[in-house]
Amino acid sequence: MLPRFKYLRPKSFEEALELLDKYGEQAKLLAGGTDLIVKMKDDVVKPKYVIDLSRLEELKFISKEDGVIKIGALTTLREIETSPIIRENVHVLSDAVEKMASWQIRNLGTIGGNLCNASPAADTAPPLLVLEAELKLTSSEGERTVPIDQFFTGPGETILKNNELLTEIQIPIMSNHAGTAFLKLGRRFAHTLSIVSVATLVVVEDDVFKDVRIALGSVAPTPVRAKKTEDRFRGLSATKDVVEKNCVWVVEDVSPISDVRASAEYRKEMSIVLTKRALIEALDEVR
Amino acid sequence: MSEEFLRLFEKWKKAKGFLVVGRGVRRVDALEKVLGEARYVEDYFFDGMLYVRLVKSTIPHGRIKKIDVSGALRLPGVVGVFTAKDIPGINQVGYALPDQPLLAEGKVRFHGEVVALVAAEGPDVAEEAARLVKVEYEPLPAVFDPLEAMNSKVLVHEEKGSNIAETTKVRKGDVEKGFEQADVIVENTYRTGHQDHVYLETEGAVAVPEPGRITVIGSIQYPHLCQTITSRVLGLDMAQVRIVQASVGGAFGGKDDMGPLVTAKAALVAYKTGRPAMLVYTREDSFTSHCKRDPSIIEYKSGATSDGKLTAIQVKIILDSGAYANRGPFVLWRATMHASGPYEVPNAKVDGFLVYTNKVFEGSFRGFGNPQIQFAAESQMDELAEKLGLDPVEIRLRNILKPGSLTITSQKLDHSVGIGEAVKKLAEVSDFKRKWAEYRKDGGVKRRGIGIACGWHGISTSRGVPDWSNAYINIYKDGSVVCGTGICEIGQGTHTAHAQIVSEVLGIPIEHIKIVGGTTDAPDTGATHASRGSSIGGIGIFVAAAKLRERVEKVAAKLLGCTPEEVEIRDGKAYCRGVPDKYIEWRDLVKKCYETGVEMSATGYFFLPKGTFDQERGQGFAYPAYSYVANVAEVEVDMETGQVKVLRVWPALAAGKILNPTLVEGQLEGAIAQGLGYALMEELVFKDGVILNANLTDYVIPTVEDVPEVMKPVYVEDLYQYGPFGAKGVGEMALIPTPAAIINAIYNATGVRIRELPATPEKLYFALKKARG
Repeated sequence: MLPRFKYLRPKSFEEALELLDKYGEQAKLLAGGTDLIVKMKDDVVKPKYVIDLSRLEELKFISKEDGVIKIGALTTLREIETSPIIRENVHVLSDAVEKMASWQIRNLGTIGGNLCNASPAADTAPPLLVLEAELKLTSSEGERTVPIDQFFTGPGETILKNNELLTEIQIPIMSNHAGTAFLKLGRRFAHTLSIVSVATLVVVEDDVFKDVRIALGSVAPTPVRAKKTEDRFRGLSATKDVVEKNCVWVVEDVSPISDVRASAEYRKEMSIVLTKRALIEALDEVR
Repeated sequence: MSEEFLRLFEKWKKAKGFLVVGRGVRRVDALEKVLGEARYVEDYFFDGMLYVRLVKSTIPHGRIKKIDVSGALRLPGVVGVFTAKDIPGINQVGYALPDQPLLAEGKVRFHGEVVALVAAEGPDVAEEAARLVKVEYEPLPAVFDPLEAMNSKVLVHEEKGSNIAETTKVRKGDVEKGFEQADVIVENTYRTGHQDHVYLETEGAVAVPEPGRITVIGSIQYPHLCQTITSRVLGLDMAQVRIVQASVGGAFGGKDDMGPLVTAKAALVAYKTGRPAMLVYTREDSFTSHCKRDPSIIEYKSGATSDGKLTAIQVKIILDSGAYANRGPFVLWRATMHASGPYEVPNAKVDGFLVYTNKVFEGSFRGFGNPQIQFAAESQMDELAEKLGLDPVEIRLRNILKPGSLTITSQKLDHSVGIGEAVKKLAEVSDFKRKWAEYRKDGGVKRRGIGIACGWHGISTSRGVPDWSNAYINIYKDGSVVCGTGICEIGQGTHTAHAQIVSEVLGIPIEHIKIVGGTTDAPDTGATHASRGSSIGGIGIFVAAAKLRERVEKVAAKLLGCTPEEVEIRDGKAYCRGVPDKYIEWRDLVKKCYETGVEMSATGYFFLPKGTFDQERGQGFAYPAYSYVANVAEVEVDMETGQVKVLRVWPALAAGKILNPTLVEGQLEGAIAQGLGYALMEELVFKDGVILNANLTDYVIPTVEDVPEVMKPVYVEDLYQYGPFGAKGVGEMALIPTPAAIINAIYNATGVRIRELPATPEKLYFALKKARG
């Protein structure tokens, strides 16, 4: 049963910002509803106001201009999964999205919702982290753009202010050829929450790792970049042996917990295995 | 009396060929289900209908001090709150033992136990009101672990003086001597966990008061049991309670147990308010408050000679029954009597214990105690084979039951024992021996493995527990036919099999036959459980149809100028054998019967002959016959993550006549998927008696990406003398050996053996890591 709340549906972006100014502190934003409604039914959140953003057509788009891919925050996961722009330029994102939930839920769930819900298991986060996406946050006071690795502050927590809205995800297209991969381990082979998810990005020049980026989900209070491990790789020769030898350090970058899905110990060990596999897959793509 | 029936059985067994039996006839309910016309409980609506919600215990064990309903009653739209004291009849719904109230009385014994019912004008008001009912408890110490419960001072049922609800035993030969004769002995402890049915449709019923009686439409498996319990709770005659099945969205045994509990609850509200009342469990209610598959702890010792012959088994089975016994005594009995697997074992000592704990109660679930024990028994067989240097097929064939064998209860199997042939054929079609020898040498990160496991399952009720079949058939004046049976259509297609039986015996097309099932308006046909719906349930239909056939044949013979034995009826026309151009239309024949004083209605009561069982010695007649099954599973194990992909499963059945191969394939595929979930992922996680994953996010069941390709089945049609056309039972069979087949395949791939289900990736990963040292 849904608890009682006041339902507000702004017809324009400006109205949405006004409502946020007025009620932001006591409101929750409804995008696809696939997280919020469940949490409300389970009594986890009891907002006094629910602001339904579904009419804000201006936040539903995927475009490519000046070397940047821009995704409106209300773009559904299914739209991302099937977008040729995403598939051709940053397939690591569509690879992750197509493994999320079920087709029906992807029809409703949005990329903005997935990020703002800020689950450590949000599967869109690791690809966006390795792509070094930037997030545009808007309020009546203005706009700011922040790198995604500064966005998450804890489970269910972000830097968003009460009157602020995530409006756009900006992904810079890399000029040099990068290999990417996304891997996810769950308790079954589909429709599953991640026990561990890993996205990788590698740039190789003269058989040497010029850039290595690793991001993981479900192994820390937020989705995380494994920066210490990344640093170890830069400058090393781009071989499977090097990957196998150095991927073990990823445990230094993660801090998983035990829950009904898996133990912390298993998550640690799987972080290594998935990092290794995702790096090799990314490597295979550039060679 | 049974001679008449035997004559009919024998007569039809000699049939040279069949018109519709044995064919993949399309389901009779296919169209209504495809078009969305089939009505499930929630699809019903009646004017003035109330919505019922549950008030559930928030603690695992405690005394109820006070129930304050005033807050709930003040909420506009709330019509009533009902507790144990509102029950006009008897607040007792225990199945095997009288230990279970419909609504908690005095005490609660598990977290999620139903304490009160709230009825309101709408579902949301009912839900809100349910939260406003304040139950004051005096918490009691609780016991959750069955081993601890066996000797605990904390008693789930004080009046019993112990948490051991039931014990069982088998004593055959001398196990001490048996183990002395053994060249190898294998001894292990196995554990299996809870399994939830996760039917698509949760539990539910809608009750409608009518003049002089109450009708309850429910998601059920046995209308007459619902009638018995509902009338007892209401203090009414059975005749005043009419039960009808709705379309059922999955049952798997769970609704055999839950059916009466929801029909009684909905009926209680309807009875007290005089208004229609609908109760549908939420998914969370279903997880917290409906019975599950009993978790088990099984200590198993087996001995065999160097040539692979079993000499003795000694087995201790502990089943965790949760807060109530429910079907547990029967589940335990079945597990105990099947402890050997389908093998000859000269010496056997088996002890079973059913133990109360302060957790959700357990109950019927496809396989009924057998998946647990066959997992242990079939793991043991592979371990013996390993020690003896035999392959898994060979050791099974050296011990397999055959006609004339004695079971561990010393019951002689005089006929219908096709398991040996099934195993031989299965090994051939799956290329088992070659793959098994090859895969065990495999290295690498992803390793293939293949495993086999067998199972057997006594059909009908156990021991001398009465079992019967019945049905009525009316042939109307236009020749169309209605057949009434208590057997429920729960998705398995049993009413299609029933229509095939009528069509075959009367020789008329299926389109003119209507099966009216799952209702107390039909004769009590027993429950739709124990794989008996089409087989034992079909006997009554077969007998009624065969009686009518003989009556019609006599009239036809006169008209055609031949003897009744020469009359052939097919496609709705009666012929004299060998004279294809002269016939009478079925419709005209029926008209003639009506005009000449022939009764066109019949019932088909049949009481199954049974033997006796000596409970003291644990020896004697256990079941009238057994269905047999064997599965081969081929897996791929990811050595770095512990993930298991089940690639293919080959099933084999020795279940008598296969009435409809399409329906049987449906049962095999579903049972394998459910067995795979049980083996690899399904698991309830408890903390202090509270289920932490009472939702479909964290209780995971297989998806289409997880289920294997199910290969063409091997059928050995080992006809059963009393089954319709020799059919035994199918529904539960392929689940039973699936866990052991998968676990044996994992061993073949990795050399690591998992003895606790489920074998989650995490569990297997750490077992592999430990084995690597």
